[in-house]
Amino acid sequence: MSVANSLMVTVSPHLHKEGETIQRAMKDVLIALVPAALWAIVVFGFNVVYILAVSCITAALTELVMRRIMGRKPTLFDLSAMVTAVLFAFLLPPTTPLWVVAIGVFIAVGVGKELFGGLGKNVFNPAIFGRVVLWFSPLAIYTQKFVKPFYWKDSGFFTPIATSISETAAGRVVYKTLAGGVTDVVSAATPLSLFKSGRMLTDIVTGPTPVGATWLTSSGRPNLGALFLGLKSGCIGEVSVLALLIGAAYLIYRKTIDWRIPAGIIGSFFLLNLIAWFYPVHHLFMGGLILGAFFMATDWVTSPVSRRGKWIFAIGIGVTTFILRYWSARPEGMALAIFIWNPLAILIDRYVAVPKFGEVNPPLFNKLPSLPEPSSQPAKKEA
Amino acid sequence: MAGNGHGQYKTFVGGIHPPYNKELASGQAIKAAPVPEKVVIHLQQHIGAPNEPLVKPGDRVEVGQKIGASDAFVNAPVHSSVAGTVVEIAEVPNFTGAKVKSVIIEADKEQPEFQKKENPNWESLSAEEIRQIAREAGLVGMGGAAFPTHVKLTPPKDKPIDTVIINACECEPYLTCDHRLMLERPEDLVRGLKLLMTAVGADRGIIGVEANKMDAARKLEELVKGENRLSVEILEVKYPEGAEKMLIYAITGRKVPPGKLPSEVGCLVQNVGTAIALFEAAAWGKPLYERVVTVTGQGIRNPSNFLVKVGTPISVLIEAAGGMVGNPRKVIMGGPMTGWAQQDTNAPVVKGTSGVVVLTSEVVDVQEEHECVRCGKCVDVCPMFLLPNYIATTVKRQEWDKAEMYGALDCFECGCCSFSCPAYIPHVKYTREAKAKIAALKKK
Repeated sequence: MSVANSLMVTVSPHLHKEGETIQRAMKDVLIALVPAALWAIVVFGFNVVYILAVSCITAALTELVMRRIMGRKPTLFDLSAMVTAVLFAFLLPPTTPLWVVAIGVFIAVGVGKELFGGLGKNVFNPAIFGRVVLWFSPLAIYTQKFVKPFYWKDSGFFTPIATSISETAAGRVVYKTLAGGVTDVVSAATPLSLFKSGRMLTDIVTGPTPVGATWLTSSGRPNLGALFLGLKSGCIGEVSVLALLIGAAYLIYRKTIDWRIPAGIIGSFFLLNLIAWFYPVHHLFMGGLILGAFFMATDWVTSPVSRRGKWIFAIGIGVTTFILRYWSARPEGMALAIFIWNPLAILIDRYVAVPKFGEVNPPLFNKLPSLPEPSSQPAKKEA
Repeated sequence: MAGNGHGQYKTFVGGIHPPYNKELASGQAIKAAPVPEKVVIHLQQHIGAPNEPLVKPGDRVEVGQKIGASDAFVNAPVHSSVAGTVVEIAEVPNFTGAKVKSVIIEADKEQPEFQKKENPNWESLSAEEIRQIAREAGLVGMGGAAFPTHVKLTPPKDKPIDTVIINACECEPYLTCDHRLMLERPEDLVRGLKLLMTAVGADRGIIGVEANKMDAARKLEELVKGENRLSVEILEVKYPEGAEKMLIYAITGRKVPPGKLPSEVGCLVQNVGTAIALFEAAAWGKPLYERVVTVTGQGIRNPSNFLVKVGTPISVLIEAAGGMVGNPRKVIMGGPMTGWAQQDTNAPVVKGTSGVVVLTSEVVDVQEEHECVRCGKCVDVCPMFLLPNYIATTVKRQEWDKAEMYGALDCFECGCCSFSCPAYIPHVKYTREAKAKIAALKKK
């Protein structure tokens, strides 16, 4: 029969779920990040677009070049570099100089992902990796300046924020030509940093360094509405809890992320805050908790695969975040907590036993069965 | 309520919802397939010991004549499906590509009807007699696994069976042969169920039907009305609802432990076709030499349900169904989730062949395997709660003890993992490799 020549022989199953691809999942994440990105542009001005653009372009170039150098096939169309680029930008203050953005995203994609072996082999969430490296690098000083929401009302929506480069004489010429000038902004504190510096929450909205929350209660109590909607200063992607939740709902609906991870993180974190009576509700709406719980900790590659493992991982992050926010010198805790737990994900998969169907008295921990040929000397098939 | 009953119907945990495409063939009544010029009857069509041929080239054989047998217990004899002349006994590749000794018979131009040896007292047969009949008739599980039926009917003495379940889920996409049998021969199915209950001394018989075959379920409910021992259970439409352990759990809430058989929890599961074949063997003296095969798929012009003589090459069936249309890319023997892709259309039908599915290039979605991205979707859908991605990863590194730790030996190869995998990892391929290697290592 003539068709016989064109018949394909593969092992079963012979059907594949429609639209279940890596690219589709990454596209879903990008779609889910749109509301938060739009909100960031509204409150922090067009400067956010410059940062996102530089982050995306640098990420794409980094991936292309790195894979070329390492002799791997280009994978730009799986969109994972774009997800890293946007998430990395989301973790930066809106004043971050563009060259710092470029260096950071190069570290995220080039080192955090490609040097580890590419998508699937990376131990850390690449965006978090890039951010944490920046934190502990000399460049950290460029990533500490926050601005009030709607600061651009005075200076113009499209005007870039003054940075170390634009403040040099040469920089001013370039910026003047390209964008008509720069905005010098007064740095503002984030709710979390104020909180950390020892002031009560009421100071955040009434004290000498207002964060720009405009929806105040008449009693001067901290305004949950402002924190929730995103009328506060902070990193680009984290400010609006509402916008993030809209995107998160889409991801859960699409089953791109597992609800157990955000549930475990937020649940355990909230519970500890409740016990410590540490402004439990306010803490949910401050800093990167929501962004991290729904968009960073849920990263497929760097979270455990089993449901039991996911709960352990999530509660671990929730507890770590609480500890960092409560006791550490830093106001933020989320990104570092994820950074700490990322490498533990593989260990959880390896040692936490998943009870098989019908298993009687399942063990808590995995034990290697003894075979005549142990796996201590794995055969290397490919270079 | 037993089982996992979140929704309207009982079911198991995990699983997938593949595109079923059952409507392609479900409306087609069963009709006899043409008898080929030559049939190729494999001497081993079952799990267990192979048969030795009882005939030699030149011998005349009649329909239903035993042509291969063995003294081993785990074995099922084979019978000629045609009247004709043995031309050759040769090694012929079966549907998996493995070469098996086979009897090749040239069929007579005129095929006589099978002469029923009616046994009016079939209802009073004893358990031992039923087991003997099942063995003599060469009965095997007709859902695909082809395990000898009489072995299943002989459970360990210390494990009494109280429930016989008829697997009428037909959860494999595209296939409709069991659905047609339930619609066209529901009485015989119920009779077969009663024989199975007698054989193992069970006092409860349940027919588990997926909710996408309500017409068949209603018919069966009508038939078992007033019989206290019998019932019909409607099950959620989910793959692999018809996997033995999943089905037992969905219906009874009992969990067969890893590495154990259904008798461990007092259950016996048999497929629709097998139950009807047992009735035919007991009441008519008819051995298993023909079965219903669904020939379907987007690449088949006239999807059909055929009554097919065992040993018929699938090319004959495809021809009888109007031939292929469109861009046929895969020809599968069995269902699209667990069946075997064919290099050509020469493979003969065996007792376990439930379908021939021709998928077109529009439907086939095979892509280059990507590094595992650890999304955990395979873990979520695995009905056995294994870690399929880790089995695949450890097999690639040849870490066989880890592959076993992550559950390779408990996998029954339903394929839910690969179906759901965004990295297009062929988990079943790796798991098979692990099973073979681990078994070899344990023999050492």
